[in-house]
Amino acid sequence: MVASPQATPEHEFETQDLLINVGPQHPSTHGVFRMVLTIDGEVVKDVVPYIGYLHRGAEKLCETMDFRQGIGFMDRTEYLAAHNAELSYVMAVEALAGLEVPERAQWIRTILCELNRLSSHFMFLGAFGIDVGVFGTPFIYAWREREAIIDLFEEISGDRMMYAYFRPGGLAWDVPLNFKERVREVLKSTRQGIRDFDELLTQNEIFRARTEGIGYISAEDAIDWGMSGPSIRASGVPLDVRRDEPYLKYAELDFDVIVGENGDVFDRYYCRMLEMHESVKIIEQCLERLQPGLIVPDKMPRMLRAAPGEVYIRTEAPRGEYGIYMVSKGGNRPYRLKVRSACLSNLQALRQMSVDQYIADAIIVLGSIDIVLSEVDR
Amino acid sequence: MTTQDLTGTIWAEVDRALAGVTVRAERGVLDVIVFIPRDEVVRGLRALKRDAGLSFDYLRCLTAVDNEAEGIDVVYHLYSTTKKHNLTVKTTLPNDDLTLDTATTVWRGANWLERETAEMFGVRFRGHPDPRTLLMPEDMDDTFPLRKSHPLAEIEVLQGEGMGYTEEDR
Repeated sequence: MVASPQATPEHEFETQDLLINVGPQHPSTHGVFRMVLTIDGEVVKDVVPYIGYLHRGAEKLCETMDFRQGIGFMDRTEYLAAHNAELSYVMAVEALAGLEVPERAQWIRTILCELNRLSSHFMFLGAFGIDVGVFGTPFIYAWREREAIIDLFEEISGDRMMYAYFRPGGLAWDVPLNFKERVREVLKSTRQGIRDFDELLTQNEIFRARTEGIGYISAEDAIDWGMSGPSIRASGVPLDVRRDEPYLKYAELDFDVIVGENGDVFDRYYCRMLEMHESVKIIEQCLERLQPGLIVPDKMPRMLRAAPGEVYIRTEAPRGEYGIYMVSKGGNRPYRLKVRSACLSNLQALRQMSVDQYIADAIIVLGSIDIVLSEVDR
Repeated sequence: MTTQDLTGTIWAEVDRALAGVTVRAERGVLDVIVFIPRDEVVRGLRALKRDAGLSFDYLRCLTAVDNEAEGIDVVYHLYSTTKKHNLTVKTTLPNDDLTLDTATTVWRGANWLERETAEMFGVRFRGHPDPRTLLMPEDMDDTFPLRKSHPLAEIEVLQGEGMGYTEEDR
């Protein structure tokens, strides 16, 4: 008979770390993302993320495309917030080609970007509910609210996800005549939807027990990792491009930058929730100030050519800073295009947020960053 | 040494913070662009981060641009979360020696961005803590997709339409 080793307070069992592979095809990874967890019992000791499964070379493709053709590729880098992705791109072209965007187009862009933020955050709420273990109800509620917004986008641009509606200089065409009424109608249901979620998740004791105090990241670390969007604001860093470096019409609008305190998963969720109220507020102000007018400049060149130069345009997309670095050497296509993905930088901090958490919590931490893999991989 | 009028920008402060570093600046569309030789670039970036008046504590973006015969530019987009100002830093690497010190010692967030730049352009970052590929397959270390000499797709090579090929090669 072999003597079994005795565990004493001084001498613990020698345990072996276990490697667990999550993904790339796994419901909790929100797409094609793979992470290898090193676990000791139930506790995560190390996380190694693997990305690139959705890499389509959008940057290289855009180098061979006319400026207008590139818009479609930008939609596909960030399919849950395509308006916001297009915006950075067309703003970069406008900056290099020296185009002035008419007032009306700017107001409409602001409205659509904020609506897209709402639809993207609804998507987050639904998917995050599933990560936490609230199956069904929140997801269907989120889908219902998102559907109303997507329907509106379809009426405007003709497409439900890949809009290609923003063009260098303005918009592809004007919005339908009943635009204002339709947006107000959608906002009414959205406001109700946000309230529903507040009751369903925020005030749910089990949900709070699952999310509070896990996945902590400090403000200094979040800045060092280059995080952005609600993920960094939850750590108490008031970083919002809309407020810090206003573009479109944000300088004239009244809204608050939502900042969290604890930097945990709950704060990352709750920042998004509160941000949605701000988006509704912004859209209402925009609707009041939207006047008839031009949607592209009067003297729009038939051939769009950019001056040699380079520009780094940053805008606040739902997941954080979506940047476009565009280099032009003259001509009708970018010489180099770089998409600065908010999720890529946020994902870098995943390891720090997940280590020493339980496996089940690591899944929630991943969900709380709200990754879109097409944006990470481009 | 400045080549353009940079009054009203943060150039004066940057020049002071970068004392002892060879530096040249020009005005970009939005931000001031600073050129630093590659041997001094990480020292310069650290000085920009530590300087109390500038405190560039946030790395927005790190990437490279292939200028073909003129080498490869590595571009850093810096931001200060407290002072709310921006700066672009560029350094040029000659085609025969594409090595550069890593910026991960300044901002940890440079990690993945440098991995991507390395696999896409063949830039080697000295002292990088994790020099694996990021988006590309692990064994793809001999070809660099974002270089101008790299064709867009294999089909183009077969059809003789490779973007990266000269007229004679076709």
